[in-house]
Amino acid sequence: MTRRLAALLAGALLLAGAAGCGIPKETEVRVDGQVTAAKSGSASYRRDEPPNRSASGTDRAAFVTNFLSAAAGEADRSYYRVKQFVAPEGRARIQEKQPSEVALTVVRLRESPVITDSTDGTKVTLRVQQIGLLRADGTLMPPLATETEYRFGLRAAQEDRADAGWYVTDPPPNVLLLSDDALQLYYQTHTVYFWNTDRTQPVPDQRYLPLAVPDERRVTEVVKWLTAGPSEWLGSGTSRLPDGTRLINNATGSDGQWEVNLDMPVDADDRKLEQFVDQLAWSLPELEGRLELKIHNQSRVTVLDLEAHRRARPAYTLTHEPQRFCVYDGRIHPLSLGGEASGVVPLTEAVNRNIVSAGFSRSGRATQAALVTTGADGRRRLVVGTGAEPLSIVQRSPGSYASMGRPVWLRSPDAERPQGLVAADGGLYRFDGNAQLRAVPLTVEGEVGAVAASLDGRRIAVIVGGAPYVAAVNLNGGVVSVGPARRLATSLTDLSAVDWAGENTLVLAGSAARPAVYELSVDGALETPLRQDVGARVTHLSTYPLNAVVPFSGGNLMYEANGVAYRNNPFDTIKRDQVVGVTPPPAGLRAGNPTAPFFLY
Amino acid sequence: MTTSPTSSLPPAASRRPHAAWELWRALAARVARLAAGLRQTWRRSLQVRVVTITLVTSSLLVGGFAYLIADKITSILLENAETDVRLRLDSGSDYAAKQLGLFSQPQEAQLQDTIDGTVNYLAGGDPQQTSGVVVGIVSDNHTGIEPRFSPDVEVGTLISRELRAAVAGGNIASQIRTGRFADHPTKYLVYGSPVPTRFGQVELYYLMPLARQDATAADARATVVATGAALVLLLGLLAALVTRLVVTPVRVAARTAQRLSAGLLDQRMAVNGEDDLALLAASFNQMATNLQRQILRLEEMSRLQRRFTSDVSHELRTPLTTVRMAADLIFAERDGFDPAVARSAELLQAELDRFEELLTDLLEISRFDAGFAMLDAEPTDLVPVVHRVADRLAGLAERVGVTIDLDVPDAPVIAEIDPRRVERVLRNLVGNAVEHGEGRPVLITLGQDDRAVAVTVRDRGVGLKPGEEKLVFNRFWRADPSRARQTGGTGLGLSISLEDARLHGGWLEAWGATGQGAQFRLTLPNRAGDRLTTSPLRLVPADAALPFGGPRDGGLLAIGPGPGGALAIGPAPADDRAEVVS
Repeated sequence: MTRRLAALLAGALLLAGAAGCGIPKETEVRVDGQVTAAKSGSASYRRDEPPNRSASGTDRAAFVTNFLSAAAGEADRSYYRVKQFVAPEGRARIQEKQPSEVALTVVRLRESPVITDSTDGTKVTLRVQQIGLLRADGTLMPPLATETEYRFGLRAAQEDRADAGWYVTDPPPNVLLLSDDALQLYYQTHTVYFWNTDRTQPVPDQRYLPLAVPDERRVTEVVKWLTAGPSEWLGSGTSRLPDGTRLINNATGSDGQWEVNLDMPVDADDRKLEQFVDQLAWSLPELEGRLELKIHNQSRVTVLDLEAHRRARPAYTLTHEPQRFCVYDGRIHPLSLGGEASGVVPLTEAVNRNIVSAGFSRSGRATQAALVTTGADGRRRLVVGTGAEPLSIVQRSPGSYASMGRPVWLRSPDAERPQGLVAADGGLYRFDGNAQLRAVPLTVEGEVGAVAASLDGRRIAVIVGGAPYVAAVNLNGGVVSVGPARRLATSLTDLSAVDWAGENTLVLAGSAARPAVYELSVDGALETPLRQDVGARVTHLSTYPLNAVVPFSGGNLMYEANGVAYRNNPFDTIKRDQVVGVTPPPAGLRAGNPTAPFFLY
Repeated sequence: MTTSPTSSLPPAASRRPHAAWELWRALAARVARLAAGLRQTWRRSLQVRVVTITLVTSSLLVGGFAYLIADKITSILLENAETDVRLRLDSGSDYAAKQLGLFSQPQEAQLQDTIDGTVNYLAGGDPQQTSGVVVGIVSDNHTGIEPRFSPDVEVGTLISRELRAAVAGGNIASQIRTGRFADHPTKYLVYGSPVPTRFGQVELYYLMPLARQDATAADARATVVATGAALVLLLGLLAALVTRLVVTPVRVAARTAQRLSAGLLDQRMAVNGEDDLALLAASFNQMATNLQRQILRLEEMSRLQRRFTSDVSHELRTPLTTVRMAADLIFAERDGFDPAVARSAELLQAELDRFEELLTDLLEISRFDAGFAMLDAEPTDLVPVVHRVADRLAGLAERVGVTIDLDVPDAPVIAEIDPRRVERVLRNLVGNAVEHGEGRPVLITLGQDDRAVAVTVRDRGVGLKPGEEKLVFNRFWRADPSRARQTGGTGLGLSISLEDARLHGGWLEAWGATGQGAQFRLTLPNRAGDRLTTSPLRLVPADAALPFGGPRDGGLLAIGPGPGGALAIGPAPADDRAEVVS
């Protein structure tokens, strides 16, 4: 009995040993702990998505407007949204692309959509101007399509019910149309900064961010843009991060603690990473608090306070508010507009004569002056002076020109070798401190009417053959070379003057049936009329580019038309008594007018 | 099992069970034989017992320890793995919560990309590797979110429904599952944690292969088992060795004792060394020597005694013959003598007859003692033998007024016996019965069955006192030593009868009770040399009263506790009775 028991026990033990010793094949679910319930959705999620198909009800015009805004929003659902508007049988005409390949055709309606009823249904005709292609990365490319007219049909969504709305039949094949109004409504412009090729100055690059993107993801989007590189047209004037650099997942942050984790195949030195952080700080002006940059999870650069960082490292080297000057009686005089401090002419009396127009630039303690003078023969010559104010030693250009526009300086923190551009005799010329004019080739043919340089000195706007172009400028080796010029779509024709009104906006003077002054975004998408009753052709135009470093609340635009100088905000003529240092002329003599007003900054 | 005896060709189906039954029986028989053999070995061999017990106990102990150690190692390995995964899960969960915290709607763009990126990031970023940890994010609450795993393997049922339910319920939970990737099954530690996000909850899973831990545990287990087995074997060997050291001398002693008891009195054990076993052997030898001496002495004495009896008998016979011849002469001439002398002559003649008888019996006894008695068996009908005996003793019976009744079958009762000896035995028994019959009839019964033949002789004289049933067969035994012999019995008759019965391989037994007479039974095998098991006739006669007087007619027996813890059986008192009714 005992033996049997022992044997039984041994057997049981052996079995238990065989079964119990190893890692079991399967176990019960073991609960280790609890995770507190998830936070509910936050209020920062905005549904700034375009209206859907049925939002317009029976209103056909509103339906067409909504159709032209359907593609707005995040790229991965653009096709879905547009196809909701398209009749089911016509959806195959729109072939879908990868979300990263999605490009919306942005058009400006020349007139309201024409909706006609005929025997074979309702037809819609859109007369458009091609503005560009809005890509998923927020850049607006020059337009590829050349169509000036799109046609498609409309039909009721349900035959028997009028309130079921409409469907688009025969949509334009493989095109996602977006009106410029929708671009303004459902996108916000966002400026990101890339370093120029010398890594001395950031160059703004304008992007469009769908309003549907919540604030939390904005940082991620911006970091992705920065790692992907600048827009195409800026490529020659900017430098980019090493190839293959990409953001690992999302940039995360909460309570003012932001973390950006990059994958960088070629390790960059700390200097470059710090510059990248500078780019981030400028590109995300609303971001505050602490930012940590990691490369492969290794913390490399940490900024404790982004706001302070931005203050300590401004994007531009501006220090003072702009000062207004004008040419009066062949001499440069400060202008004194109400409420603004007037400056002092940075030229000695000996130099300050026979001047037609002038372009100045301040860089640190040095000032560069480029003066267009006229001689007895009526031909124009360029006079250049650089150094500390007041400038007395000047260089004169050896040649003379029949016409010469306002010279501009390519602003640069490096004051040693200043470079400038000027349009003369229908050509574009560059000059340096020695006033040697050399032609600069452009990628477009035509008569160069005017040239303007941006605040960063790496982008120029030129008017070639009466049309606006922008291009990146490269200063490699001290030689100015202009990259491929990009034509901007505008409704103005016969342009006569251009200047930069902001980081990404231009002011153009031209003709919209009548002479007018328009503001145009740097990609041509957004056009705003500033003054439509100029009355005469604008011959001279100067602006102060608005920026975040030195804000300026006064009117930043001055122009001259028909020999009269104007200012904006409010629009008014610049009168003689606003010119400082002018003695009233003796009675009987016709008093001169202030001309060629310009800003010195 | 419905084999039809009439069917000449039984169907295969019915034959097969039969064959199976046969096979089963053969197998069972084999097993039973084996078990019996094992049992015998177990009972007979001390060494086997000791070794078996040692093996069993040491197996239990070593097995227990091995189990503990292997279990501990496994649990440590598992614990490490769990801690590792838990740490990774926690940091992964934090990371995923940060990443997914940017989204407030499950259908938001980039969410799926972020999930992919997060999973890849947490898995180490290399989607090509397939042997490492698998990280996955699934969402049981949001249908729009596709589950993603990195590396992108088919995890299938690795994440059980129960685990998913537990994790979806907000718990951090783990489970071990076995999955089959590539070609071999791998155990996985599946750990899941909910990741709270603003649009609800997704579930993060880490699947850690336990192949390495499994292999390590198996290694440890194998080592422990091998060590344990070796230890058990070693212990068994040790036990066998030690028992052998002890058992071998004991066996030698047992064999020697067996030989001694078989009569080989000069057998001795070998004495090696000076240990306890040597002492045992020496003591044993001493004992054997003493025994031998004693036995030889006794044997010699017994031999001398028998020799003496035989010699005395023989020596007495010669002068007795002479005395007899002289006495016969005197007896024949007694009529011519003085009546007193004639009476003496008659007395002399009678006593000489008794003397002669005594001598004959003594010689017979000594022949038995010397082992010279030979059985001259032949098939014999016992009925005439019984009749002859009854007839012979009819005179004596008539003289004492006893009738001899016979209960003999009509058919012949044939048995292989020595008729001379059987007749002598019966004569003795019937003579005794007549002698002690006290005038009451004597009954001789003859019976036979297929194995044995029996004769009982019943008298109704004074009977035997308890315990005298055995004593009656002793030589020269008397129930009452003061009583004179009337019939001139020698006191050796029953002893010789007993020897005769034994020579046949039969039994001679006695029963008697005071006042009820006695009964003797002779049982002999039908064939000489057969062993007896039962007798055809009963020893205690049917009319014998029970020891305590027996119950009243139709009365009940009372069975109850008796004095000194014995069981008392007696007639039940008239009152308080209980009946068992069947």
